[in-house]
Amino acid sequence: MALDEKFFDKFGVEYSPNEIIFCEWEPGNEFYFIQSGNVRIVKLIQNREKNLSVLTDGDVFGEMAILEEQPRSATAIALDHVKLLKFHRDNFDTLMSGNPQLAYKLLVIFSKRIYDAKRRLMILLLEEPQIRVMDVLVMLAEQDPHLDLQNEISLQVTAQDVARWAGLTEDDAQKELTHLNRTDKIEIFGDKIVVKKIREFQRLVASRRKSMYQ
Amino acid sequence: MSNSTGGPSGIITRTYKSGSIIYFENDKSEYIYILKSGKVFLTTIKLDTGEETKEEVRQGEFFGVKSALGKYPREETAQTLGNTMVLQLTPADFERLVLKNASIVKKMLRVFSNQLRRIVKMERSVLGEGEIVNSDAELFKIGEYYYKAGITKHAQYAYKRYMEYYPDGPNAALAMKRIRAIDAGEPPPADIGGHDAAPATPPRSVDTGGDFSIEEPGGPGDMIDFDDSSDEKDHRAPAASSTALEDEMNDFLTEPASGDLDDFSLDAAVDSDSPRDLSDAGDASFAKGNYIMALELYQKVINLNRFESPEEKKLFEKAHFDSGRCYIEMGKPKEALDILSRILRNFPGSPYVKLAIYHIGLIFESVNQKDKAITYYNKVLNMSPKDKLNSEALNKIKQLQGR
Repeated sequence: MALDEKFFDKFGVEYSPNEIIFCEWEPGNEFYFIQSGNVRIVKLIQNREKNLSVLTDGDVFGEMAILEEQPRSATAIALDHVKLLKFHRDNFDTLMSGNPQLAYKLLVIFSKRIYDAKRRLMILLLEEPQIRVMDVLVMLAEQDPHLDLQNEISLQVTAQDVARWAGLTEDDAQKELTHLNRTDKIEIFGDKIVVKKIREFQRLVASRRKSMYQ
Repeated sequence: MSNSTGGPSGIITRTYKSGSIIYFENDKSEYIYILKSGKVFLTTIKLDTGEETKEEVRQGEFFGVKSALGKYPREETAQTLGNTMVLQLTPADFERLVLKNASIVKKMLRVFSNQLRRIVKMERSVLGEGEIVNSDAELFKIGEYYYKAGITKHAQYAYKRYMEYYPDGPNAALAMKRIRAIDAGEPPPADIGGHDAAPATPPRSVDTGGDFSIEEPGGPGDMIDFDDSSDEKDHRAPAASSTALEDEMNDFLTEPASGDLDDFSLDAAVDSDSPRDLSDAGDASFAKGNYIMALELYQKVINLNRFESPEEKKLFEKAHFDSGRCYIEMGKPKEALDILSRILRNFPGSPYVKLAIYHIGLIFESVNQKDKAITYYNKVLNMSPKDKLNSEALNKIKQLQGR
C-alpha cells in the first residue's frame, strides 16, 4: 500500500540502524506506519531483552497509543535504515478520513488484537492454575498454523512466558509445569516446551470451561 | 438451501430459507456478509457464563467482519429467520467496497477500537495491573539495563526520556549523572545492580501541610463488616468479577452495531445520558490528565443513578472508583477517601472493592499516615484472587516498614 510522497514530507521520520524509535515505559502518543525498513520490537522480561517480533514495510506499530494514554509496552528499535510515517493520536480522525487505506489496515490489526486479547482473557478466567497453564499451551499451539496438533508439538516458550500468559507467579507456573513434566505430559527445555498430546489438553480445558457454566 | 449468483464485482448474492445457518461458531471462513433483506440472528455463547445471547443484524449491516479480517474462527453462529438475502464478500471485495467510503471504515474502526480498549482494560484489571505501576522507575530501569549491558546509546535514549518526562523524578540525579558519563565516554561501572539501582517511587504526594490528617472512612465498623463480606466474596471471586466481565464479553462479542458508536472526541458524549458514553469520555479525559473534566463526567454517571442492568451497575461502581482517582490526582485526599469508602460500604461485592482499598492505602501513604496505609495494604494482600495488586500491596508494606 503506497501512501503518497507529500504525505512523507509531512509525517515522515527516518531512523538509522540500531536507533531506538521509542522505549518501553515512555509515554506514547504516536503510532507509526513503516514505509521501508525493518523494526525490531523488544521487551525487557526478567531483566533480559526479549525479541517480540520484527516488523516490515506496510506494518503498523505503536497503535495502542490511539486507544489509550498508557506507557509503551515494548521498545521499538530500527533494525536497518527505516522510513516511517509518524502520526499523533490527536490527528487520528482527520488522518482516517483522508486515508481509508490506513484506516482499513488498522481495522485488520484491531480485529486480530481483539481476538488475541479475548483469547488471553479466556485463560485468565479459568480458576485452576493447572488448567490455565494447559490453556496457555493450547493457545500457543492454535496460533501456529503449521503445527500438526494430532502429534507431539514443540512450542517456543519459556516458563516465564507461560507465567505471564497464565497470570501466575513464576514459581506457581513453574510448579505446574514441573507437575506436567513429571506426569510425562510435556518435556521442558530451556526455550521450548514439547507437548505430547495437545488435543488432550484442548479437551480438558474445554470441558473445564464448560463446567464453569454449570 | 442457498443458491448463488455472481454479482458484478465478484460479490455474490445468496438467498437462504428460514432457519438456515450461514455459518457456525468455530467455522473457519473468510467471508464477510451484508444483510440485504430478511432477518439474521447472531448467537453467541458468553465466555464466562455459557449463556446464549442472540443479536439481530440490521438490514444493510455487515456481519462476520472481525473473524474474517483477523483470520480466526467465527465467534458466533449466524442463522436466518424468514427468507433472507445476503451479499457475500471476500476480504478483497470488502476492502474495495469500504475504501470507497471512508466513513464506513472510520465508523467500524471506532467500534473496534472501543471494543479493544475495553477488553484490554478488562484484561489489565483481571491481572490486577492498573494505574499503580511507577512508569518513571520502570523507564529508569530500562536505561539501567542497557547501561549495564554496555549498549550506551540505548541507555542514553532511556535516560534522556526520563529527564524529559520526569525532571524532578527520584532517579533524575542519577539519570543525569549517567548521561554525562556516557557523553564523556566513560565505561559503565561493572557492578551496577540492574534491579537495585531503581528504587520504587513513592506515590505522587499530595500537597498537605505537616499537620494534615484525615479520618478513616466513617460509618460504624465498616472495615470490619467489609472484611467479613469480602471473605465471603473471596470464595466466589471469579463470579464477583464476572459481572463486569460478562458485560465486557457481551459487547465484545457483538459485531458493530451503529448504536454503539462513540467518538474519539469527547464533545458528543458530554451531553449524552448514556453511562457508557459518559464513562468512556471520562476515561479519555482522565488519560489526557484532565482530571476536572473527567471528574465531572464520572459524577454525571453517578448522578444518573442507573444501576439496573449489570452494565449500568458496573459503570455506576466504576464511576465511584474513578472519581476517587480524580480526587487523588487533584490533591484532594479527603474527597477521594470519602468516595472510595462509599464503594466499600455500598458495593461490597464489587470488583472495584480491592482497587478502592489499595487506593485508600495510597491516600494514607501520601499524607504520611503509615500505619493506616499498612492496614489497608494488608487487606489487599489477603484478598483473592491473588493478582498483581496483591504483590504491589506487599511491596508497599515492605517499603513502608523498611523506612
